[in-house]
Amino acid sequence: MEPTFEVNEQVTDGVPVVAVVGEIDVATAPTLAEHLGVHEEAGAAVVVVDLLGVSFLDSTALGVLVGSFKRLGQSGGTLKLVIAEPRILKVFEITDLVRVFPIFATVDEALQG
Amino acid sequence: MSDTVALSLPVRSELLVLARITAATMASRADFDIEEIEDLRLAVDELCLSVVGGARSGTVRLEFSVDEATISITCELESDGEPDGDAPGEPDDLSIRLIEALVDEHGRNAGHGRRRAWLSKRRSRVEH
Repeated sequence: MEPTFEVNEQVTDGVPVVAVVGEIDVATAPTLAEHLGVHEEAGAAVVVVDLLGVSFLDSTALGVLVGSFKRLGQSGGTLKLVIAEPRILKVFEITDLVRVFPIFATVDEALQG
Repeated sequence: MSDTVALSLPVRSELLVLARITAATMASRADFDIEEIEDLRLAVDELCLSVVGGARSGTVRLEFSVDEATISITCELESDGEPDGDAPGEPDDLSIRLIEALVDEHGRNAGHGRRRAWLSKRRSRVEH
C-alpha cells in the first residue's frame, strides 16, 4: 500500500543529484533521509535534490530537507532544491521555506547557480 | 446532499495514503476544484500526523463528511493500551502552518486516552 516512491542518484561534475519520484510522506521520508545522510557524512559541498517528479510532500518531508540543509550548512555545504510544480512550491511558500532553500526550476540551473 | 464515510486504520505509516485518497475522492465528488482537492490531501495528512504523533500502535479513526459546500474531517487515535514510543507532544510548527493555510477551521483536543483533531474546508466554486 506504499505510495509510488523512488530515489535515483547521479553525480554531475562532482555534485550529487538526488532525484525523488512519487510521494514523500511519513512512510517514505526516512528513505530520502538515508540517501541525504550519505552525502552529509561524506562532507558534500553541494547536494541537489530534484523534486520535479514529486507529486506530494508533507511536513515530514520538509523536516528531512531542513535537517539535511542545516547539517550540510554546518560544514559549509548547501542543499539546493529543484521544483517546477506550483503545488509543490506552494508547500514551501506557506511554510516560508522559499526564503531558506536555494530553489531552481531545472537541475541544470541548480548545478550552475 | 450529505455524505459521511468512516475509515479505520491501524497505526502504520504506509496506510496514511488511504486517508489522502479518501479525502481527495470525497472532495472531488463534492465538486471541489483541483487546487482545493490538493489542499485537502495535504491537510488530512497533517491532521493525521498531529494526532498520531509518536504512537506506534492503536487505531486511527477518520470520519469524512460532506454537507453542501463544506467537507469536514475528524481524526481520532484510539490507543490499544500499549505505551507510545514517544510522547504525543504538539504538532511541529511546519505542520501547524500548513493546516492553518489550507483549511477554513481546525482544532484538536485530548483526554481519556484519546487524541482527536478536526478540520473543515468550504468549496469556493458556486453550485449552478
